[in-house]
Amino acid sequence: MDKFELPISDRIKGLQERRKRQNKDLRLNFERNRIITDYYKANPKQYPIMKRAGFLYKWLTERAINIEDEDIFLGDAGPQCRTVHFDIEQCSPMWITGCFGDTDERFKAAWQQPGSVWVSDEDRAWILEAHEFWKDNDIAATAKGLFPPEFIEGMGPYKNFLNGSYPGHFCPNYERAVTVGFGECRRIAQEKLAEIQACTTHANVRSELFYHAYIKVCDGMILMSKRYAEGCRKKAETTTDPARKAELLKMADSCDWIIENPARNLWEGLQTVLFYQYLLIADGTHWADSPGLVDSFLGPLAENDIATGALTREQAQELIDAWLYHMGDQIIMFPKPTNDMLINAHKEGRTFYDLQGGAQNIAAGSCITIGGMKVDGSGDYNIVTEMVLLAYYRLRVAEPSIAFRVNEHTPDHLWELAIATSKRSGGMPQFNNDDVIIKAMLDRGVPLEDARRYAVFGCVEPAISGKEWSMAANCGGFGTGASLVNILQYIIHGNVNPMDGSTGKLPCKKLYEYESFEELQAEMERQMKFYIDNVTRMYHFAAMVFNHEWPILSASMMTEGCLEKGMDVSWGGATYNGMGSMFNGIGTTADSLSAIKYMCFDKKIITTKELYDALQANWEGHELLRRRIINEVPFYGNDDDTADDIVRWFTNYWTDIFNNSPGVNGGTQNCGALDLYNVGAGKRTWATPDGRKTGDPLSLSSDPRPDSVRNGPLAYVKSVAKMPWRKLRCGGAINVRLDGNSVKNEEATAKIRDLISTYFALGGIQVHFTVADTAVMRAAQKNPEDYQDLIVRIAGFSAYFTHMSFTDQEGYIQRLELGV
Amino acid sequence: MDYENAAGRIYDIQGYAVHDGPGIRTTVYTKGCPLSCLWCHSPESQSFEFQVGYLPLKCLGVDLCENTCIKACDQGALTAGEPEQAMDGSGLIRKVRIDRTKCNECQKCAEVCINKALYTAGWDTTVDEVYERLMKDVPFFRNGGGVTISGGEAMSQFPFTYNLAKRLKDSGVHICLDTTGFANTEQLGKMIPYVDLFLYDLKQMDSEMHRKLAGVPNEKILENARFLAANGAKLQVRYPVIPRLNDSEENMHATAKFCKELGDAVTLVQLLPYHHLGTSKYDRLGKKYKMHRWSPPAEEFMQKALDIFKSYELPCQLH
Repeated sequence: MDKFELPISDRIKGLQERRKRQNKDLRLNFERNRIITDYYKANPKQYPIMKRAGFLYKWLTERAINIEDEDIFLGDAGPQCRTVHFDIEQCSPMWITGCFGDTDERFKAAWQQPGSVWVSDEDRAWILEAHEFWKDNDIAATAKGLFPPEFIEGMGPYKNFLNGSYPGHFCPNYERAVTVGFGECRRIAQEKLAEIQACTTHANVRSELFYHAYIKVCDGMILMSKRYAEGCRKKAETTTDPARKAELLKMADSCDWIIENPARNLWEGLQTVLFYQYLLIADGTHWADSPGLVDSFLGPLAENDIATGALTREQAQELIDAWLYHMGDQIIMFPKPTNDMLINAHKEGRTFYDLQGGAQNIAAGSCITIGGMKVDGSGDYNIVTEMVLLAYYRLRVAEPSIAFRVNEHTPDHLWELAIATSKRSGGMPQFNNDDVIIKAMLDRGVPLEDARRYAVFGCVEPAISGKEWSMAANCGGFGTGASLVNILQYIIHGNVNPMDGSTGKLPCKKLYEYESFEELQAEMERQMKFYIDNVTRMYHFAAMVFNHEWPILSASMMTEGCLEKGMDVSWGGATYNGMGSMFNGIGTTADSLSAIKYMCFDKKIITTKELYDALQANWEGHELLRRRIINEVPFYGNDDDTADDIVRWFTNYWTDIFNNSPGVNGGTQNCGALDLYNVGAGKRTWATPDGRKTGDPLSLSSDPRPDSVRNGPLAYVKSVAKMPWRKLRCGGAINVRLDGNSVKNEEATAKIRDLISTYFALGGIQVHFTVADTAVMRAAQKNPEDYQDLIVRIAGFSAYFTHMSFTDQEGYIQRLELGV
Repeated sequence: MDYENAAGRIYDIQGYAVHDGPGIRTTVYTKGCPLSCLWCHSPESQSFEFQVGYLPLKCLGVDLCENTCIKACDQGALTAGEPEQAMDGSGLIRKVRIDRTKCNECQKCAEVCINKALYTAGWDTTVDEVYERLMKDVPFFRNGGGVTISGGEAMSQFPFTYNLAKRLKDSGVHICLDTTGFANTEQLGKMIPYVDLFLYDLKQMDSEMHRKLAGVPNEKILENARFLAANGAKLQVRYPVIPRLNDSEENMHATAKFCKELGDAVTLVQLLPYHHLGTSKYDRLGKKYKMHRWSPPAEEFMQKALDIFKSYELPCQLH
């Protein structure tokens, strides 16, 4: 029998059902948007951080208190369970007018159908009116006002950055919220404030405002907790069930205590994490606000409860189960659907949630990290590590994602449980290699003790838990996109993107004008350097917008360094600062360069002009050449140095330049290799020399193209291990697909562990594996109701298969069938 | 070519071959087998000769490649088929068809097929070449993993198999030899120092029945098993459970009893439930799968079978 099976309690089943019901009837969070709009309209001249504090205080003290019947934990970041969050100050004006300024008929067809994320007529009128204020005051407007015109011109295709959105990927110190509390933090802030007031200078005057703002939010947080206490007592008055009544009164007692004071038991610790999470989400849907090393600070509370008999093992598990449902409730609307998208989805009988389920919106991109090391280098695994894994194993949830840190101290039974969980939960958890990641952190100048305390922020991005403002892969909604492939297009087509005829900033030759492969490589290096220099410049500008006008006060409340220095995270308050960027299109670029080298220079099978012509024609009339390339050229992913050396060359070049460029707020720039948009980017990318046609998907993240992999999983793993992972310190995603038949018995578990361990010994930093059972997916397409819990791993995140669009499902299955 | 770098004919090398012994293994599959088991799921392993394989899915249509394969064939075995819808929906194409009665397996068509719809099953290689390829996977061979030499029947290519095993063993690689046991006893004896574990098939204890199912009687196989056990070899016995052909209780008892008699040499008995996953490979080679495609044995049935083996106090498992 199943040795990991712990019963799922009836209450948990109830919460599960509750969420399934709610997914068909989601609501947008207008509450938060009304509050911020009212506040910002009424206080236009307030200093930005005071304005932020004022808004947050208003939200904390006025928001609806929602206590669900039968629920084990309290509240949500919105007015009801699974509210869908969006921030009006970071919506593009085109989206607002396009959706809500549309005709009545189309508006209703998109937003007022069964399964819609419901927007009432009143909400619609409100958002259009609010838009009149925000269009001149939102993040994008601020950016436009701050940037010199020459800079905006120069942004070329990256102007969409000007639509502006909050930087994301951070991990404030939740441990401080749980084990120290806002009361003590408030006391420290007051002390610091008094020091400054005794001697105000040019240098510290802004910090004085920071402390005022800080104290106001502490007050608000404490009040919100007490408002929940009051809500519980009221509810208890009308509750007839004596057990529930007692539970509500106990929760009331706890809510009077927590937030202000350190949590005394596991329930209080978990509820504190949730309350703080609500604040972060309400402040702004920053994307991927992650709670860090949760088992590390929740473990002692759980162990104490069990040791004292306050909780049984089963009761503790029930708490973790229920808490994870709440952590997964924070839905961010991303990408924002247009009316066309929504109307089409409804026509196909799909709900808003289905539409979003295939994307990475769920659970706000948040990632829970478990396991790892203590500051002294000993293993950090406890009963909460196990309970979190058990929750995913038993409940088969996809959100939020989890990262499992492994090192030489990882206990065997947790290895086994993590692999068993991953087999069931579509690649959850991902596995992270402490050895190499810690070294990568040391390379950034982080001291060993702190390096050992990294956590995963978002999809795969490692940064220092609780102490870093990381902005991994995301600054102001601006990523580098399919950067490598763009550069590849320029050097083939002579600085022209054949998709739209647009030109790059750095003129260069056409493919048939290069005398040697080395000359082409040199041009590629020149282009990469130019691109990275520009990106770095943009990052500094983007960071300035937030520094100036949009502080991230909620994160500054607990990120270490901010309280100490009196600085917001956006001003450089955190102990460590990072600026991440992902480079991608690795497989497509590597295979394309390998094809040029092999076909035109090494074997001289065709001339560069012939290849150029075939590309210009999108392979039309050149099908046999295309097939020959696909079948004959050495491709990345097969443990063949001919292709793998190309990957090593450009990755080393890119990371060396990027990582050594000056970071924001005196921090470091950190390169990673991750991509979630390979399908969309592929649609906008012209044919490539690897045999890919115009519009076909690009390779994903650091993965080789699935259909380039010819030699099975070992060669695949050895190939990807050749990447200079230690330099990819903003993370990377490697997906290893295993045949369903090869993972069945217990021995198979040990073999998967060997595979992961070998990959890590060879230098890899992250891996998740998926079990490719295409027969199961076909069955799920036919009977989606029976396969509601089938989870598949996309790249940095997992998604429910039945919520993906038919096209995405087909794409996924095809990739599997062609792949390893 | 010297003896140590003997030539061999193989049809595949597979990494992460998790069904072929302990740990992560890479398996070399030699081509050709003196047995012809009805349920064999690797038809390309049976013949010692190269064979033309054909994957219609990959055929681009003879009009696109201007009859490349048809022109290459001097036996008139290839013709254009009826127009059919292309996989990518680009229109009608005429895929090639093989008349296997005319094909002499000369491989000329496979040599010219650009998209490898026509391909050769098998290739010639040497100990050096294969050794170099296998050593690339050494980092994965932790915790008991290593190389498995399988077939076909690897012992049918003794110089290759022997020298490959010796060479790998000298480099510290754990070696499994997957054998039918239908081999020259003296040669098997020579393998013992270089093989950590023999994966040894016992298909049917009744010799006459064995001949019907696998094409050869079983006396030699049983004798070789005893010989290996008596001479210090370790055996992992593999018993494929095939519906109606060898799944009688009587045969199970006989197999278990035989394993018991081999004593400590038997480290594990694996019961492998029949499946027909490999049968599409028969179509590719233009061969007929001679057995009825039975459903795999039920789990309860396999559990009962396992209980029989357990009753002999044998280390055993379902695989």
